[in-house]
Amino acid sequence: MRLWFAALALIVGTTPAAAQWLDRPWAGIPRTADGKPNLTAPAPRGPDGHLDLTGLWSGPVPEIRFDPVDAQPRVNDLIRQRQREYHKGRPLYNCLPSGPEADRSAGWKRILQTPAAIAILNEDLSYRVIHMDGRELEANPAPSWMGYSVGRWEGDTLIVESAGFNEKTWLSRYGQSHTEALRVTERYRRRDFGHLDVEVTFTDPRAYAKPWGFTAAMELNADTEMLESICERTSDEWQGGPVGADTAVTVAPEVLARYVGVYHGVYGGTKRVIEVTLSSGQLIAKITGAAAVDGGAMRPLIPQSETSFDGAGIVYHFVVGDNGVAIALDEIHISGPQRFPKQP
Amino acid sequence: MRLFLAALILMVGAISAEAQWLDRKTPGIPRTPDGKPNLTAPAPRGPNGKPDLAGVWDAENVVARPEPANLQSWVLDLSRQRQLEYYKGRPMYQCRPSGPEAERFGGWKRILQTPAAVAILNDDLTSRVIHTDGRELEANPAPNWMGYSVGRWDGDTLVVESAGFNDKTWVSRYGVSHTEALRMTERYRRRDFGHMQVEVTFTDPGAFAKPWGFTVDMTLAADTEMLEAVCEKSSDAWAGSLSDATSQGVTVPPEVLAGYVGVYTGIYGGNERTYEVTLADGKLIATIAGPNVEGGLGAAGLDDGAPRPLVPVSQTVFEGLGLGYQFIVGDKGVATALVVIHISGPYKYSRVK
Repeated sequence: MRLWFAALALIVGTTPAAAQWLDRPWAGIPRTADGKPNLTAPAPRGPDGHLDLTGLWSGPVPEIRFDPVDAQPRVNDLIRQRQREYHKGRPLYNCLPSGPEADRSAGWKRILQTPAAIAILNEDLSYRVIHMDGRELEANPAPSWMGYSVGRWEGDTLIVESAGFNEKTWLSRYGQSHTEALRVTERYRRRDFGHLDVEVTFTDPRAYAKPWGFTAAMELNADTEMLESICERTSDEWQGGPVGADTAVTVAPEVLARYVGVYHGVYGGTKRVIEVTLSSGQLIAKITGAAAVDGGAMRPLIPQSETSFDGAGIVYHFVVGDNGVAIALDEIHISGPQRFPKQP
Repeated sequence: MRLFLAALILMVGAISAEAQWLDRKTPGIPRTPDGKPNLTAPAPRGPNGKPDLAGVWDAENVVARPEPANLQSWVLDLSRQRQLEYYKGRPMYQCRPSGPEAERFGGWKRILQTPAAVAILNDDLTSRVIHTDGRELEANPAPNWMGYSVGRWDGDTLVVESAGFNDKTWVSRYGVSHTEALRMTERYRRRDFGHMQVEVTFTDPGAFAKPWGFTVDMTLAADTEMLEAVCEKSSDAWAGSLSDATSQGVTVPPEVLAGYVGVYTGIYGGNERTYEVTLADGKLIATIAGPNVEGGLGAAGLDDGAPRPLVPVSQTVFEGLGLGYQFIVGDKGVATALVVIHISGPYKYSRVK
């Protein structure tokens, strides 16, 4: 069984289709004259005068500031080994909590802020709690997936210190490991109603000579709801490489022609555009937009059935309407399918 | 591989040991003169005057066994089939979210409350959100694991209505299914600082003739912390079933079995438990002495109370429905102890008679 099939096996009932209940306007948020959420209005504050981070947030996958020179040789060895294994052991692909992994700062989060604690709820149903009741960071908490976090305000910046992570999580999807001595420092700044910047630093002298980290830029998602994104199949089922050529089927050119078009959607919280063209009898997908892949590289789509195509490790499934004309394109990720409706 | 081994494999690093950092005093809670948390102080209230349900709660074990007569026949059939499969497909055993499952109302939770939403955080690292911003319950939300919930205050009681559950979750550990039309009503009442009661009702005409439910009492867990309890190995690693064990056809001579007959006492779930092992028609039978214990014999079904034969898989190891039993033998093959193997690990019962 190839990766392609494994990905298909991952198509589970979480298709986030456009639905009316997802488009309810929120009460009590600042709006512009035309009724849209005013994302540049001032950030709200709680009764205690501190900024209130409560809201539904999403952001793109951050770019990590990581230099292999600073990593212990065993960390770099493990990174290379994990790459050879298609990062199959990534906690996310094993239906395990992602803990402090940088890439999982992307996607959707719900933040609830109360005087004693802040909760950050992830779309995979996992969560973490930041204690705000003035307690100190524990020196030696029991290692856990999500760590032990305490927060304090420094002006308008929430500073969160975390420790007590187990060694099973990764620091990025590229497979950087860490020890139980890992400390994470986060600086949250809600600069206006619609924007939250988070500066994250990983410190783990047993694995990295110097601290490193990333910046997450999150935007408020108003007038909508967060959908669940649950891992139901682990990567234990993955086998072989991401090659679809050996199982390619032939699809008639007139069928392929009905898939040509421009598909718009959101991936990882940011807009993605997939332009599908037909060239010499071969469908090509070009991914552009803020969540572009590989700088907008062309991906040949290799047919595996009349509607399913392998696009270099990602499965593309065309949703067809009347006359076999595509109305949407599902991009099937490990995390589930993402739907991109076709633009008229 | 038998269930016995599978159960051992499931003993993963979630063992919660006593640790100093778990005994820190929770700041800002009412205390009695001797410094202990005052659990009978008045319940706290938020700025809007409504009770604030926030806190870390330890809920009692939930007993929620619906009347078989109240179940549509397909639900009852499925429940019985799942019993034979040791409830291997239970979402919790598959490392999946438990959704509305009654028994999962027990155990530890952390609740956070803001004016617009209440979050309930479970120790298995799943969470749910109850919208309290005045929105209506959606008629047709996308089915998901944790459902879509809205809450409103009825005096000092938070009444939560939920819909939009997928049909992969169970409403009881006894394998009781529901449809996507399931509605769940919960009534949360924090009667004082340290005590909260939740009354839960399941309504699903496609699965149940009448609504049914249960009540659970929760106690505030002050001066401590909630530990993670994350499922890391799914029950896919379980193999075999009781009928498989039977078909293995291991035969143990009656005189060996006779050496195991007796009364065994030990501790399970913090309480003393006594097993009686008897021999009838050449088969060992395990019962729990005294009042019926929920889940005491492993995969107890909706029709609990039936005698549970122990099927031999070796001279000392037996399978009972859902649990492994191992007799520790001393001189002359006479058992000195009985080890009952649960998912959570082995429990030793010393022979007293």
